[in-house]
Amino acid sequence: MGPVPRTLELFYDVLSPYSWLGFEVLCRYQNIWNIKLQLRPSLLGGIMKDSGNKPPAMLPRKGQYLREDIKLLRQHFQVPIEFPKDFFSTILEKGSLSAMRFLTALSLEHPEMLEKVSRELWMRVWSRDEDITEPQSILAAAEKAGMSAEQAQGILEKISTPKVKNQLKETTEAACKYGAFGLPITVVHVDGQPHMLFGSDRMELLAYLLGEKWMGPVPPAVNARI
Amino acid sequence: MGPVPRTLELFYDVLSPYSWLGFEVLCRYQNIWNIKLQLRPSLLGGIMKDSGSLSAMRFLTALSLEHPEMLEKVSRELWMRVWSRDEDITEPQSILAAAEKAGMSAEQAQGILEKISTPKVKNQLKETTEAACKYGAFGLPITVVHVDGQPHMLFGSDRMELLAYLLGEKWMGPVPPAVNARI
Repeated sequence: MGPVPRTLELFYDVLSPYSWLGFEVLCRYQNIWNIKLQLRPSLLGGIMKDSGNKPPAMLPRKGQYLREDIKLLRQHFQVPIEFPKDFFSTILEKGSLSAMRFLTALSLEHPEMLEKVSRELWMRVWSRDEDITEPQSILAAAEKAGMSAEQAQGILEKISTPKVKNQLKETTEAACKYGAFGLPITVVHVDGQPHMLFGSDRMELLAYLLGEKWMGPVPPAVNARI
Repeated sequence: MGPVPRTLELFYDVLSPYSWLGFEVLCRYQNIWNIKLQLRPSLLGGIMKDSGSLSAMRFLTALSLEHPEMLEKVSRELWMRVWSRDEDITEPQSILAAAEKAGMSAEQAQGILEKISTPKVKNQLKETTEAACKYGAFGLPITVVHVDGQPHMLFGSDRMELLAYLLGEKWMGPVPPAVNARI
């Protein structure tokens, strides 16, 4: 057996476009690098509140820049990410509480489904401009990811339980404790020390910290470890 | 003669640490990629309505008008002062020290220093900063690359791999091997 895989925690919210980009890169590299990727659904709103930060899009020039940046990264990262028509309503008003609670419940009951369902939720809100707040929307994402209707319904029924609500709160607090002021954050444990990296544009630096090879945001699959 | 080099404008302020990082990466790649790097000293304060580097950036602006070939080295020495050795960059002596460390003679440096409060230099710095704002800057550094007649503005020192993608060039990390340098 080789060296112990390094633990990587990815704290994310499906409301966050850069979280999706970081997520896809790490999912690609989890079978290439010697890492154990732990997905940690969190609430971006809670982190903003706790840190006193504001969503970047609230500053007009940043909002304009974000739109162009996402367009370029769509091509560079090969992720079909697209700005929703009514960004403010979708992202800043409607939010993602139910969706993130659903993912939290999944993390407790069916963690093996977490990656696929997270992706389907992003595909709804950040690719096809579809709702993610209604129960039907969340069930649709879960089923598209491969869950049966019963399984998905079973998870949905748990999202307002204290256990799930508290877990989401704790995960969000853990991100804050690591110093998060936004999402995504990647926490890598190297030599017994946690290093928190903010953003989807610190993955090359992450590779450097891990002593691994960076092959861009779309690494060749042929290098995948079996 | 090969294809025309693509113009890259780097708007920066020595007050900005990420500007230094972006600057060093682009300086390394200017002899590797088919680009023409144009350094554009700007005032972060003008973009963010705060300040601290006015004299230093005016000095660099004057340099850009009179001795542009010294711009890279003097910029670096100013960063080395403020962001490496925690030394002052606001006093005239500090700025002269940086200029001389970069290879300028005392007379040359003094000559440039005497121009920093002229309307010409003050206006140029203002214009450059406004140009950055027109490109959509909300901070520094910004790199503006002109590709297919379109300007693309990239913010930060962490968009250089994306820049390579836009240019169709190879990204070899922030410290590319010098052996690939074009003669």
